[in-house]
Amino acid sequence: MASDKELSDFLKSVDKRAFKRTMYMVRDEDAALDIVQDSMIRLAEKYADRPAAELPLLFQRILSNATMDWFRRQKVRNAVLQNMSDFDTDAGEGDFDLLESLESADGMLGAESAADVVSRTQTLQLIEEQISALPTRQREAFLLRYWEELDVAETASVMGCTVGSVKTHCSRAVHALAKALRTKGFAS
Amino acid sequence: MKDFDTRPSASDPHRLEALQGQFAFRLTGQLSRASEALPHEISERLRFAREHALAVAQRHRHAVAPGSVAVLGLAGRSAALGGGPPSVWLRLASALPLLVLLIGLVLIQQHYDLQQIEAAAEIDSALLADDLPPAAYRDPGFAEYLRTADAP
Repeated sequence: MASDKELSDFLKSVDKRAFKRTMYMVRDEDAALDIVQDSMIRLAEKYADRPAAELPLLFQRILSNATMDWFRRQKVRNAVLQNMSDFDTDAGEGDFDLLESLESADGMLGAESAADVVSRTQTLQLIEEQISALPTRQREAFLLRYWEELDVAETASVMGCTVGSVKTHCSRAVHALAKALRTKGFAS
Repeated sequence: MKDFDTRPSASDPHRLEALQGQFAFRLTGQLSRASEALPHEISERLRFAREHALAVAQRHRHAVAPGSVAVLGLAGRSAALGGGPPSVWLRLASALPLLVLLIGLVLIQQHYDLQQIEAAAEIDSALLADDLPPAAYRDPGFAEYLRTADAP
């Protein structure tokens, strides 16, 4: 059973990432905060007696479900569900060389000076914009896999899909981000 | 002589996957740094959310704990009494107030019925003892009653 301290430390370690991740999805600060708070409370109510090692996966699943619930409620309320398409378009990607982009990634992200705050802020803003622009499933897979650092099987479990789908979503997300950043001039 | 292209090709999936991972982790590293610098108001609301969740967890744990203590206490008491099935006595004891209530309701109903009967009897005797109005003799129903009453 996770102790109060373990639960507190866990929540402290995930709250900011959870908020940002939810913000990319719902694009509403208050809604994102509500969803994160609800998820924390659900975790505390139902799973506080589970071992600390199980908390990350449980929390990610609760957070994903809470976000989907929010979208469902919004859909009912507005009869409009934004940006929920899983269908990707390949138009215009034919001449894009992913390998070339990835190999020059040092230039894209690591080359700016640490002192150059403006440049870093712009880069970050651009990354966030591009992540927000990803299709929902791609974004979810990308953030769970590479930000929350879940493995492929855990990501599949949280997303309720197959391991193959996670790999596909992640690959497409990385491809799209690399292309977008290169197009915006963030390359060596 | 033409140099070989040493760049990994699309047919080298492991290399491609490794590069993708590297690139992705570099991006998310930037996101992590950014998420640490959230506005104060949001950080405070998140802190409040954490504290609320912890309070809920503590309440939940305490709500579970007294129940188990009570069960243990009950088991201990029955063991100390040293015989008889305690659950039967407990059930009987808990049924006693219900039994008293039912008996009380029956008695109240009987008392009410008796009062009704007495009131009706008083009205009947008052009517019978009263003088007969002359108009009653013009009533065909009363005349029929008198004929029937006279007949043996």
